[in-house]
Amino acid sequence: MRTRAALGGVFASIAVLTIGWQVGSSATPTTTSQPTASGSTDSSASTANSSTSSNDGTYTGDSVSTRFGDVQVQITVSGGALTDVTALQLTDHDGKSVQISNRAAPVLRSEVLQAGSANVNTVSGATYTSDAYLTSLQSALDQAGL
Amino acid sequence: MRHTFTTMGTVASLETADTGALTIPSVEAIFRDYDAHFSLYRPDSELSRIASGSLALRNSTRWTLDTYGDALSWRERTSGAFTPHRPDGVMDLNGIVKALAIRDAGCVLAAASGKPWCLNVGGDVLADGTEKGAPWDVGIADPADRTALLTVIELTGTRRAVATSGDAERGDHIWRGGSRERPEFSQVTVVADEIVAADVLATAIMAGGRATLDELTDTRDIDVLTVTATGDLMATPKLRLSH
Repeated sequence: MRTRAALGGVFASIAVLTIGWQVGSSATPTTTSQPTASGSTDSSASTANSSTSSNDGTYTGDSVSTRFGDVQVQITVSGGALTDVTALQLTDHDGKSVQISNRAAPVLRSEVLQAGSANVNTVSGATYTSDAYLTSLQSALDQAGL
Repeated sequence: MRHTFTTMGTVASLETADTGALTIPSVEAIFRDYDAHFSLYRPDSELSRIASGSLALRNSTRWTLDTYGDALSWRERTSGAFTPHRPDGVMDLNGIVKALAIRDAGCVLAAASGKPWCLNVGGDVLADGTEKGAPWDVGIADPADRTALLTVIELTGTRRAVATSGDAERGDHIWRGGSRERPEFSQVTVVADEIVAADVLATAIMAGGRATLDELTDTRDIDVLTVTATGDLMATPKLRLSH
């Protein structure tokens, strides 16, 4: 359970989780400023160390820099509980704001190549002609009846 | 059981456990009908007659108009990156017709039996039956080495379609809206629930480059793997090994 006293830690965790989701385990995010464990942030919202629901509202975490751009997270506290997490901002290196999304990112071949590549049912590739098919992997699969 | 047949200038491979006598002829007939109607390589097809001016579009069949309408709606949904027109203005529905035929064939195969099947037409794949058994493993060809694979994608659950667009084999079907710039990608693979979406969006990203890639991965439920001319890869999160 996320406690209000650890709100700063929540900020950090959410930021890391979000970055991990976006860029994969290969990412080595560097934080520009680390939220403190006391729960205060550099955001415009007030500190979230109260035990009452008077601190309901939205809180904005620090912007964290990754090699793909900057990310910032906003949370909503309602009735003293964390009720919503929003990826507030992700900018690319041109400073344009983009959504945290399903975007494609550069990967090494070793990051997509799976073991057992030879054991496939079928092959997707650029459309081949009937002649080119004869020398294709698909043709080999079909002839083998695999 | 594997069955192969030539159609639309390429080869179709159907893997199915269904041994019904009518299933394979029905699938072949779908491709034959689409090709006879829409091919620009056949002078007697309706599209060839429209292209030559001997048939006015307003006098064409409902089938042509509906398909043209489909293609135009995909043009809208891809901000113009996919287009059903050649640079000379001739209506060319080749960019969508093969996928429509695969979709229709998939309906026949699904209705024929509850058994798994996998249909590959010229490198575009639609499969079913994965929820009942093991996933279909679809290799993605390496555009730089046609005997090698870049990766293997598992088709499972609602993810049933893989389409790859590229200039490695038959690069004649992608119109870049008159752009003279070299394409950013040499190959684009799209994984989606529907084969028409996969095929059209792969073509659109191939034509529109990075901007179209970002726009479509932001707005549509697809997984994408791209290869640049220098062999560099980009992939959406689900296609990276770490996920």
